[in-house]
Amino acid sequence: MSLLFRIAVYLPVLFLIAIVVVGQQHTTASDTIRAATQRTVRWTVWTLVLVVLMTAADYFVIGW
Amino acid sequence: MRDPHIPANLFARMVTKNGIDPAKGLGWGTFLSGFVPGLLQFQLGQKSRAGLAFVSCTALFFVGWMIVGERLFYWALSAPDDKGGLINGIARFGFVTLPEVINMPANAIGSFFAFDSSPTGLREQREPRDLEHIAAWATGASGMLAAFWAAQAHWDLRLRRDASHIAEGQQPVASPALVAGLSWLVPGLGHAKAGQKDKGVIMGLAVVIVFALGLVFSGGHAVDRGQYQVWWIGQNLFGGGSLFASLVTGPMQNNGAQLDLDLGIVLCTVAGLMNLVVMCDAYTVAERSLFPLPAGAKPETSEANA
Repeated sequence: MSLLFRIAVYLPVLFLIAIVVVGQQHTTASDTIRAATQRTVRWTVWTLVLVVLMTAADYFVIGW
Repeated sequence: MRDPHIPANLFARMVTKNGIDPAKGLGWGTFLSGFVPGLLQFQLGQKSRAGLAFVSCTALFFVGWMIVGERLFYWALSAPDDKGGLINGIARFGFVTLPEVINMPANAIGSFFAFDSSPTGLREQREPRDLEHIAAWATGASGMLAAFWAAQAHWDLRLRRDASHIAEGQQPVASPALVAGLSWLVPGLGHAKAGQKDKGVIMGLAVVIVFALGLVFSGGHAVDRGQYQVWWIGQNLFGGGSLFASLVTGPMQNNGAQLDLDLGIVLCTVAGLMNLVVMCDAYTVAERSLFPLPAGAKPETSEANA
């Protein structure tokens, strides 16, 4: 439950961070939101990759 | 659409010697002079502004210092004690107290007079006192104010140095240091002042929402300089948020009920770091209205960006 709650917080916060990060390269709100959405998707994929890699490292190094 | 004023390889463009070179700094002397509020303005011949900078930063610091005194040492990156050593000596003059160190003279004098190496003095560093939340914000704000005064002087120096690159009669949409300072208090307000209102609203909302989430998850206790002093340095980069916390949530009784204090502290600190990006961007928006990138591009205007 705690993990689900934190994931539910993580994704919106990731989007809000993306707004600030990509906002530096745009001049209007609509462009910023569009770019932030794409960036959030990309970061989410990288997050999943990282989680899978860390879980695999857990499995092989420490054991299940 | 991507901002056409930003080249794909920004760094490569910044070191190009053709036209304006915005990467060229004003030197270490200018940078270090910024730690004495008003000194750069004095060197620029802006005597009344120099006095205002010095008095505003010093007054704000000592208003808070009168309440917190030696407790500032407890919030420093390294608290001094009665032992010797280089770091200890530096810490005694407040050089590892952030962000107060940017307001160096007042902070050094205040630290010098507050330090007491006796057991009683060291105990008093750890002792909370009434109104310390707002007093701590005031001393911290004096450092941020000194930074904005220094940024203003840097901008004036830049105008003087690069005057040949500016078309006659051309003015920036706003003072870069002013818009950065406004963004520190209210994220996005600097962008609005610089002509990018809608972008300022969503960037500001992003910062405020993350900060508010942090306060909610922590039951209001995430922003507390007395307890989480290093985190507070990052949280204070959102000055309006840390002011709110010091007035409203900081003084609240901590009954230990909040379950996600760690999450709240991290979110409030992330919000502060996000606001640092917002402040820098607001500064850049105002700066580019006079010194566009790439060289020769049409400057941004409030009409084009609103």
